[in-house]
Amino acid sequence: MALLEIKGLTTEVSGYKIIDNLDFSVEANELRVLLGPNGAGKTTLIAMITGQFKPTAGKIFFDGKDITGRAPDEIFLAGISRKFQVPNMYETLSVYDNVMISLQTDRKVFKYMFKRVSPAENERIWEILEFIELADRANDPADTMSHGERQWLEMGMLIGSNPKLLLLDEPTTGMTEQGKQRTAQLIEKIAKSHTVLLVEHDMHVVRRLGKKVTVLHQGKLLAEGPLAEVVENEMVKAVYLGKGRH
Amino acid sequence: MAINLAGGGATVRKVRRARLIPLWALILGALVMALIGTSPHYAGTDSYVVGLIGKFLCFAIFALSVDLIWGFAGILSLGQAVYFGIGAYMVALSMKLNYTLENATRYGGNIPDFMEWNGLTEVPGFMAPLLSTPVAVALALAIPTLLAFIFGVITFKRHIYGVYCAVITLAEALILERFIVEYQAYTGGFNGITDYSNLRGAPFLWVIIAVTVVCFLGARVLTHSRIGTVLKSIRDNDVRAEFMGYNVANYRIFVFCISAFMAAGAGAMYAAWVGIVSFLDTGPLLSVEAVIWTAVGGRATIIGPFIGAFLIRGLEFVLSGLDIELAGRSIAEYWQIFMGALFIAVVLWIPDGIVGTIGNWVRKRGTGTLGQIREDQDRLAHDRQHDWDPAGATKPGEERV
Repeated sequence: MALLEIKGLTTEVSGYKIIDNLDFSVEANELRVLLGPNGAGKTTLIAMITGQFKPTAGKIFFDGKDITGRAPDEIFLAGISRKFQVPNMYETLSVYDNVMISLQTDRKVFKYMFKRVSPAENERIWEILEFIELADRANDPADTMSHGERQWLEMGMLIGSNPKLLLLDEPTTGMTEQGKQRTAQLIEKIAKSHTVLLVEHDMHVVRRLGKKVTVLHQGKLLAEGPLAEVVENEMVKAVYLGKGRH
Repeated sequence: MAINLAGGGATVRKVRRARLIPLWALILGALVMALIGTSPHYAGTDSYVVGLIGKFLCFAIFALSVDLIWGFAGILSLGQAVYFGIGAYMVALSMKLNYTLENATRYGGNIPDFMEWNGLTEVPGFMAPLLSTPVAVALALAIPTLLAFIFGVITFKRHIYGVYCAVITLAEALILERFIVEYQAYTGGFNGITDYSNLRGAPFLWVIIAVTVVCFLGARVLTHSRIGTVLKSIRDNDVRAEFMGYNVANYRIFVFCISAFMAAGAGAMYAAWVGIVSFLDTGPLLSVEAVIWTAVGGRATIIGPFIGAFLIRGLEFVLSGLDIELAGRSIAEYWQIFMGALFIAVVLWIPDGIVGTIGNWVRKRGTGTLGQIREDQDRLAHDRQHDWDPAGATKPGEERV
């Protein structure tokens, strides 16, 4: 069974089907890119998987367990970490503390009460900070970081939680060309040891990654396969690139 | 699936943190407490100023309890006086009951006068446990904490926070205030509970000082610890914290209970020190006042509420002593207007409060690490303008999916 398996997922908001009977799966240790025009349901799909919204019908299985309609914190503890579209972190805390908060520990209040950062945890935080190349800014508050640095910090926070599946929602939005390249590099590095589901708009980045691609359109699965094949697909061309442009 | 992250290792791995208690704060705090503790010796035990100081210390603890939830966990409560008031009423009732057992009222009875007026002939059974002082103190602390827990479960578990939570807490304070006025046979009603022996004097002042020190040190340890970092993270971004696997509601309930416990302790000591409690000590007015003390002193600082409470209450005292008339009335009658104006001014011009603003100023002046942060901030604000290019990130002609 695949790591993430979605069966017949449907989400309806006032009669309009944002996600329409979707079957979709991600294998372990895979880097999958999710494509789709605006309103295709990409972010909604991620919101369903992480428990932000509840689906109208259908099931979501993760790691063999049914996680449909569970609370966000429970789904996180099951092993799914999510990066938001807009960088989302703790603004007044330092970069170090942002990663520290994300570390995998028992998160129950009374277990947490007298806990301190152990040397092993400290080591791990620094490893992550060096991995995302932000170690020299460890003591700065997160709100002093640039947009790109915030995106990388959030990815570092996700790694810190040791997830089985990372959901990255458009991590390159609003970045400069160099920023996008650095982000793509970081995603490649992360994908070496993690399962990643990436929502991406930028074709340069998608081409560079060159992995299996899933295209959504109006909440339905339009095409799936290696990038080169999908780009040649007539339907994809019609939906996406506009008729007659290719 | 832990990954082996072979890093460059060139950077200096050093975490910069403020000390738990800086030496200057320790010395200054000890000096202030010694000064307060010895005040009965040179001002006289019965002096009005000593009475005020003990009262202010209780208010400082109360303001700290507001700061703990508002400044550090982002929960604005406009009804924190509920917990302060219940603590105060428990102790006041206990003292009043014990006092009337030995000193008959002017009607000759051995039950509190307000019960006599309302036709009761003996102390109601459910109040009997209050006759024992330890039980009364335990109840004064336990009941507010339990109430806070129930309140937390009802609101935070249902994802009610922010403005909605503030409104509910405000309603809570109004309800308790009405309740106390209505059930006057048990609470003394509009007049409150008066005429019982208070504990004003040097020994009890030291008790208050000790509790104050424990509360402020405890709050510092809590907010400086790892769980304090989690609370701040929830304040900064509760959605992210939830998607990081934290049960945000449980953390909110936890800090809300600690805050209520602290407020109840302050209320209990207040009742014993002052010797009078009334419905005003449980109402929205005192709750909002505590929020103002915290805002003026400095949100999210430990010492801010202390300074705010002493400064504003002290100012009120000084103003009321002045013999200046304004439009035919004493200047002290305009106190509420003045306090409102002060609050607006603080929010507009020094939103970080007195302590927070001084802290920012020291950081800005400093050439060390914190000065560096400020410099970086300016540089990055500049960078970000170029970096952040929503929607228009792609140039014309570029492929965009």
